[in-house]
Amino acid sequence: MPGGQARPAISGLMMNLYLTAAVAGLAAGGAYALLGVCAVFTYRLVSVVNFVGAAIGAAGAFAFAMLVEQGLPIGVGALAGVIVGAAVGIGVGAIVTKWFAESPASTKAAVAVALLVGLAAIGLRITGGQHPHDFPELIRGSAFRLAGVEVTNASVATLALAVLFTLAANLFLDRSHTGLQLRALSERPVAAELIGIPVHVLSLWVWGVGGAATALALIIIAPQRAPNFLALSLLVVPALAAALIGFFRNFWVTLVGGVAMGMIEGLASVIPGLGEYRTALPFLVILAVLLWSQRGARWDDAR
Amino acid sequence: MSLKPTAVLLASGLAAATWSGAAFAAGPTCPDGSIKLGAISTITGPADFSEVPKAAKTMYDAVNRAGGVNGCKIDYEIADDKADPQVAAQAARDFIDNKKVVAMTGGASLLECAVNAPTYKRANVMSVHGLGVDPVCFNSPNIAPVNVGPYTLTTAMGLFATNKLKVKNLCAMFIIIGGTQEAYKAAIARWEQLTGQKAKLVDLTVPISGDYTPFVIKARDAGCDAVISNAIEPGVVAWVKTADAQKIGGINWLFLAPGYTVEVAKTLADSKQPIYAGTEWEPYTDRNSPANKDWIAAMNAGKRPLTAFSQGGYLSAEVMLDVIKSIDGPVTRDSINKALASMKPKSYPLAGSPYVFGTADRHAPMQSTKVVKLEKGAWTVETKDWLVVPAK
Amino acid sequence: MMRASLRSAATVAIATLVVGGVAAGVLPGYWIYLATAVLITAVNLLSIGIVEGRTGMISLCQLSFAGVGAWTVGYLNVAGAPGGLPLWILIGGLAAMPFGIAIGLPALRLRGINLAIVTLGFASAFDAILAANTFPGQTQFLQVPRPYGFDSDEGYFLFVLIVFVLIAAALELLAGARLGSSWLAIRHSERAAAAHGVGIPSAKLRAFAISAFIAGVAGGLLAGYLGTLVADNFTMFGSLSLFAVATMAGAQYAEGAIIGGALVTLFPELLRRLNLPQDLGNVLFAVGAVQALSTGETISESLRRVRGRLLRRRATETVVLNRADLPRRRDHGAAPALTVRDLSVCYGAVVALDDVDFDVPAGSVVGLIGPNGAGKSTLIDAVTGFLPSYEGSIELQGKALEGLLAHKRAQLGVRRTWQTNRIAPDLSVGAYLMLASGGLTTAQLRAALAWIGRLDPDQKVAKIDAATRRILDVAGVVAARPALALLDEPAAGQSYDEALRLAARIAEIPAVFGSAVLLVDHDMDLVRAACASVTVLDFGRVIASGPTAKVLELPAVKTAYLGVDETVAA
Repeated sequence: MPGGQARPAISGLMMNLYLTAAVAGLAAGGAYALLGVCAVFTYRLVSVVNFVGAAIGAAGAFAFAMLVEQGLPIGVGALAGVIVGAAVGIGVGAIVTKWFAESPASTKAAVAVALLVGLAAIGLRITGGQHPHDFPELIRGSAFRLAGVEVTNASVATLALAVLFTLAANLFLDRSHTGLQLRALSERPVAAELIGIPVHVLSLWVWGVGGAATALALIIIAPQRAPNFLALSLLVVPALAAALIGFFRNFWVTLVGGVAMGMIEGLASVIPGLGEYRTALPFLVILAVLLWSQRGARWDDAR
Repeated sequence: MSLKPTAVLLASGLAAATWSGAAFAAGPTCPDGSIKLGAISTITGPADFSEVPKAAKTMYDAVNRAGGVNGCKIDYEIADDKADPQVAAQAARDFIDNKKVVAMTGGASLLECAVNAPTYKRANVMSVHGLGVDPVCFNSPNIAPVNVGPYTLTTAMGLFATNKLKVKNLCAMFIIIGGTQEAYKAAIARWEQLTGQKAKLVDLTVPISGDYTPFVIKARDAGCDAVISNAIEPGVVAWVKTADAQKIGGINWLFLAPGYTVEVAKTLADSKQPIYAGTEWEPYTDRNSPANKDWIAAMNAGKRPLTAFSQGGYLSAEVMLDVIKSIDGPVTRDSINKALASMKPKSYPLAGSPYVFGTADRHAPMQSTKVVKLEKGAWTVETKDWLVVPAK
Repeated sequence: MMRASLRSAATVAIATLVVGGVAAGVLPGYWIYLATAVLITAVNLLSIGIVEGRTGMISLCQLSFAGVGAWTVGYLNVAGAPGGLPLWILIGGLAAMPFGIAIGLPALRLRGINLAIVTLGFASAFDAILAANTFPGQTQFLQVPRPYGFDSDEGYFLFVLIVFVLIAAALELLAGARLGSSWLAIRHSERAAAAHGVGIPSAKLRAFAISAFIAGVAGGLLAGYLGTLVADNFTMFGSLSLFAVATMAGAQYAEGAIIGGALVTLFPELLRRLNLPQDLGNVLFAVGAVQALSTGETISESLRRVRGRLLRRRATETVVLNRADLPRRRDHGAAPALTVRDLSVCYGAVVALDDVDFDVPAGSVVGLIGPNGAGKSTLIDAVTGFLPSYEGSIELQGKALEGLLAHKRAQLGVRRTWQTNRIAPDLSVGAYLMLASGGLTTAQLRAALAWIGRLDPDQKVAKIDAATRRILDVAGVVAARPALALLDEPAAGQSYDEALRLAARIAEIPAVFGSAVLLVDHDMDLVRAACASVTVLDFGRVIASGPTAKVLELPAVKTAYLGVDETVAA
């Protein structure tokens, strides 16, 4: 039977078509949101625009896939993947902390771009090959049906994880002693060191946690995304765009921005007549949001 | 067109003898002591096609061990282009200007044809590609791949859906990379022309990696009975898993050759979706097929894996060796080109169409596929006979 | 410093042409072919150099601009447009410019980091668009023809060489001009650049537009080089990798661009000859870029440093102050230079300035003193337009400044120096003074430098100490001869004798240059020597105002100031 058993009765209605498409973009949106929140987390605590964030997570996700291929149970493999993500994050963090602690944000961003180039090359080398790796599904099944779209448990889990991470990050930054220390650290690392905050160790913790969270996110979404290492690493583009929407400050706005971008992507797939320019739509939306939201900003901090 | 190889050799030898008016057929000679051949392939970077030229190298090594072609050793070199046009261009110039290769053979790259076809034309070098990927591989006077290629295969899968599966609403959802849009549009148009039908939905904006949910839903809501996709291996898995997650039924998923791997079959063993794939050559998973016998023996002797890629490398080497053997006198760029231009179509067991180079503006000699179906974690051959795309 | 930049432009042009010409005659065909690729990549790297190396912004979509240029050339070729490749390349560059401006527009508002993300997003979107569009003419096997007379490999190499030389020389000229100095100033400190009246948005936008143009030209050159192109020539990852190379090599200099081009082109060659995997290249570029960023020195900067050490500097000529050469005094009339009424500034709950009234009459030097945190710098920020908001009114010569941006105020005649050093270290002393003053003759420049303290115009700012930089900052402001000069602690770090000498100079500013001066300093001797009248701030309020000698004797002033005076003046 054409179209399967569950074609919505009123699919001819444009509104419903768009709603369906938007809901279909939810899975991607959750991933963007989670990665965006991780980017904000790293920026607020160690003031690095983390271009290499998704590549760090990709390292963890591929470690997971390769370990499971070696016969490890999925749960153990996922744990190992998260640990690898944390370890690679700490490795990158060590480079940034050791040599660039006092550098301006633009230098740190340039370092992150350079590291992305290197890490992607190494990652493709290790994980590439004639047969891409198979990503087992950590979370299976679908949670509920909305507008004719099955919302999978994996999408729900990514969204939930994003919300959880947002809550935890907010609480941690605003309420905990360590959080306050870390905020001091991001503002003036040397001054923070002078008043006895273990700057180096705390920064590495931030990188580790960011790496672990990104790795977990990518492990969950990878089975639906036909991943190769480079493609996963370049998820940093929508992630950073989401973070921009939240001004690299506000976790909740970032979360909403990420989800919205996924839904816009979904919508773009059904808008007729855009052709190959469809992929540019999310970019234009981001640009518009940025121009509007930052219309007051003028000076680079302290420059 | 099922002349025995010996008969062809005999015939061409006779022809050569008549032309030259000489009574001796000395066969190919090599003033430099060896015959230099080259391959440019994507080895590092986003894909690894190295198994194609490596299989070809296995063949040449075997020939060399047996004393070479008429005493001439084959000096075969493989260069990596890491899917970088600049590197691919450099490699071609290195082969042509510095290493003075007489021909290219066994190449398999994401973009090498598009980058180097003009260079080959300028230098008058021909290439028997092991695996043509980009559209220029099938649209250049200097390149004739031994594979069917994704574009002809698209038409072939469309014909399979219409004629064998009796599908009414055929949809095409393609990932477009590196200027392949026109070629895929032409392939769909060719199917429409052959069947007199119209595609229900053509979407050429599927991302190479990303969430496929919107596209799967779109196919369902458009009422597609069958969807042709050019997704490559992990993409195939993601498509089917997404369709399963969306609880979609009743759509035939038709993939091209990159979807036809053992790993895909294993990973999708649990899926209830009807999944088909078109092959470039005799289905390589069918180890008992007589057509695969020589290839399997050669690969086992060279300790190379039995993959579709190695079929391509093997076949390109067979073609090139036959062409070299047909030459009478020194093997040079000119003599190879002459031999390729004047060669008679020649059938090989691995392929459904005879291979020919000739003097046309563009070459796509291979026009036949066999379709395999995914059943219980393994690929089974769905079409016992070759499915040939008619010329008109 | 036009002469110096002409000289360096000529040096670049001649050196490249000679080396290239010799190379064309000597190298075998294959190496000529590689050398052409080196130069085309170098052109592309120059385009990154403008944005990154010179202006300090991160652009990650240069290859997308190149793609626009290349595709334009392709379309012109298919359409059979007249003019041939040289003209098409030019049009391709111009076609890339609107894209550069469109992407650059957000840079006017967005902070630098955000621009990096926006450009990355553009590159990613452009990837998909380009991938769908076959290079024009490819299916018909139509190649982009090389220019007549340059169609051999050697010929095309020379053609590319000429284009590279033209662009590199033009950039050297630009670097010596005001725009080039503004870029370096922006890279170092946007605020300081704005304080010189540099319009940050337009300078940034021009950098982006020129950069896109050059990238577009590079794309056109590539089209002629390869004849036909694929989308993979212009991928986002390619842009990222090129950015790493530019960072590593220092692409703002011609030699850096060529070194970078050589790395990109010859490394794959080397790897192939050594039978090593091709992807090692990107790892090396990443390591090199991180290394360059951590030392703060690119390959070309290291080379320049070594060369500077090898070539002994010519002895600095003793500069004698010839007052007749000083920039002519500007008459700003008799209207009060600055009138501040009811000025209040709050940072959250903290009141930094509270109902401040005060004036700087024309032709006077007024001191502004007060303990740390009294609000002196806040007042300067308010007057010069560096605060987001304030209450009250500020008038320059009776003209309200409210609503004007910093660089507009600077152009109207409010100029300032900075407590923290904000002079771009890459500028030469002379280039800085040209930027700050807005144009002087060489004689005027030398005289102004001699007036302030015998500075060598050819020396790099990076080479002079912090105290001297402050003096240079003062020289820049007065050489512009604004209606009002605000000097923020110019004597900090100076020796006692130097401070007194500086005081004498400051005192004569109104007579020599015509500007009224507001001097903020802790050094009481400097204030006494330079200022006729003085205003005292404490906790954001004016506690005293009047003739210097009288005010400094007031008990309230002494209480407010005692202690601070001791520690700072020490």
